[in-house]
Amino acid sequence: MAKRLNILKQLICLAAIIATMQPLGAAAQDAKGKKAAAEDPGSVSTILTPADKDARFDDKAVYEFDVKNTTDNEQVGKISYLVSTETDKNLKADSQMIKVPKKSTGKFRWTIPQDKPGYYKVAFMVNVTDYDDTIRKVFGIKPELLTSTHNKPADYHDYWKAAKDELAKIPPNFKVTKMPKITTTGNRYTYAIEMQSIGNMTIRGWMTLPKTVDKGKKFAVLLGLPGYQVNLTPMGGMDEDLAIITLNVRGQGNSRGPVNTRRDEFIFYHIEDKDKYVMRGVIMDCVRCIDFICAQKELNHDKILVSGGSMGGFLAIATAALDKRVALCSSQNPILCDVRSLPGEVDWPLNDINRYVAIQPGLTLDKVFNTLDYFDTKNFASEITCPILLGIGLLDPIAPPPNEYMAFNSITTSKNKRIMVFKDLGHEVNTAYKDLEGRWMRDHFALF
Amino acid sequence: MKFTTTWLKYLLVTAVLFIASLNNSYAGGFPVRPGSLLLSPSVSYFFANKGWDSLRRKNPFSNNGQFTSISNSLYMEYGISKRFTFLASLPYVINNYVADNYTSKSQGATDLETGIRYYLANINYTYYFTIQGTFITPLYQNNPSLGYGEKGAELKFSFAGSAHFLGKNCYFTAENGVRQYFGDGGPIQDRYNATFGLTLDRRFHQQMSVSIGGFYSTSSLNKGFDPKKLVSNKNFAFNQASITYGYSFTRRFSTFISAGTFINGRNTGDGSSASLSFVIRPF
Repeated sequence: MAKRLNILKQLICLAAIIATMQPLGAAAQDAKGKKAAAEDPGSVSTILTPADKDARFDDKAVYEFDVKNTTDNEQVGKISYLVSTETDKNLKADSQMIKVPKKSTGKFRWTIPQDKPGYYKVAFMVNVTDYDDTIRKVFGIKPELLTSTHNKPADYHDYWKAAKDELAKIPPNFKVTKMPKITTTGNRYTYAIEMQSIGNMTIRGWMTLPKTVDKGKKFAVLLGLPGYQVNLTPMGGMDEDLAIITLNVRGQGNSRGPVNTRRDEFIFYHIEDKDKYVMRGVIMDCVRCIDFICAQKELNHDKILVSGGSMGGFLAIATAALDKRVALCSSQNPILCDVRSLPGEVDWPLNDINRYVAIQPGLTLDKVFNTLDYFDTKNFASEITCPILLGIGLLDPIAPPPNEYMAFNSITTSKNKRIMVFKDLGHEVNTAYKDLEGRWMRDHFALF
Repeated sequence: MKFTTTWLKYLLVTAVLFIASLNNSYAGGFPVRPGSLLLSPSVSYFFANKGWDSLRRKNPFSNNGQFTSISNSLYMEYGISKRFTFLASLPYVINNYVADNYTSKSQGATDLETGIRYYLANINYTYYFTIQGTFITPLYQNNPSLGYGEKGAELKFSFAGSAHFLGKNCYFTAENGVRQYFGDGGPIQDRYNATFGLTLDRRFHQQMSVSIGGFYSTSSLNKGFDPKKLVSNKNFAFNQASITYGYSFTRRFSTFISAGTFINGRNTGDGSSASLSFVIRPF
């Protein structure tokens, strides 16, 4: 009995010690927190929120502008905005004086009237006691009404028919070589692929196939098309239903071949002649790859998705427009949309093209545009009949949103088109696009 | 005694119906890949020794009565096209009712269900709407322990989707079907079910789901419960809850164990169940 009482006493003591330690620890932490808080002078920050999640409006843009002040000082000063066109022509400005008491948040609302369809740059400035900042955004006014004023060349269809006829005369000489030493993510086999394209150039790429015991299985195909001067490598993935082909077009990666340009020269290589312009061959390389897919018995020829970003987005739309064997087209930030309206909106590729024009006798920018009219993404887009998914960033300095929307709006022959707008992104899309692309592809290919 | 055992027998028809509709492990409501086949054999055990009367009062079965039912079922789905899925369900039940001085046993195939599901639409390729028409064909005659013995038809609307929840992949289905049995006084029933499931690991091997569902059945005949009028048990209602654990050995073979219990009811037995089912995808 005495022993039990002793144990009980010990337990009570232990509990008392633990109980004492906890408040001590908490008090120590509290004191540390108070000290840190006392040392923290606070800061001023801003949060800008458009009333529409895609920053798309009808006749006025509306933004909520919060100025958060965690300092011990009252913040006095001015907030203002400046609206300009995509070509940086100033249109509208306004400002208001504000006072944000210490340790508080000032909430302000901007209503910016604008009724002409288009995309507009807007800079929001805050200049208060302890803080100066400028936030640059872009908003759209009825972008679905944007249309290009530049027409397709009269012989557009003849031009591309001739290119395809020329390609058809080239023996494809498809080669598929298993590459057991090259591994990717997922349980896949990797193959090096090779084919001949116009100009008798050898075009190379990669194919990865899921390992399966089903010998008769036919895989749906994702054809990944390259960005500007990007060397695509074998692409893996966990998807057991999908073959993934990555293609390096001429002048890029392991298909560089005779088109061995410097990085900046590729975009204007032979641009003075529409029949020799590098992009004609590049696009035919993509069509040849569709020939390759349709020559492979383990691939499903009715389930071909072409996808790419930037120049890859341009190539995806061009390929889907010129080759109806493409079942789905996913294009992210495609370049060269409504090329004749690009001057003043973008630096690249016009700065490189202008440099080339300047050193070529007799070549003018207008002559360059006469070539680029055959390669305008909006012209290809108008030929698309398959479902298409387009992703754009409103802060994109290379593929500006009004041009992207003009391409999107020119799609009138596809019954299924969708655009995904990222108001805070530049020349990129995020994982939400890729997630949607996957689900969209699975639904269209009935890969439930 | 005769009346008591007889009405109990009819009362427990609802339990049989419950057992026959217990298999939710294939998470119906999503579209099915064309050309793919899903087979799901299952076995369920149901036990009840009390029930709710027409006034929702719960009482033990008289004379220490106990009802047990074992249901073996084969469910199949076949993807005809992107939009259309054929489905069928064939249950076979063995029912036992034991009380002091009374024993009853019946067994046999019950209602064959065949149907077509149509994929209506989706929201963002994440949430799916389907509608399903089912025809019910009784595979027995004059055996009220196995069911109504009448043909019937059902129209069911389903909403299903998947998402992320607490850092895990999850899915849900919500279904509501209206079923009409033909024949004199054939009941019209509203059958509803909602399931929420979580994938427990990154490789999608393990999943856990909870379901809540129920029946509401009404007939043009006498709506009050009268043991002397046997068809009156076409008027009943119950709600039940179940929990299921599933393990996928491969993409082609999964197994599910499930436990369920009635929550409340009217004119029905109050029981609990356990089931084991397999999902086999040969192609």
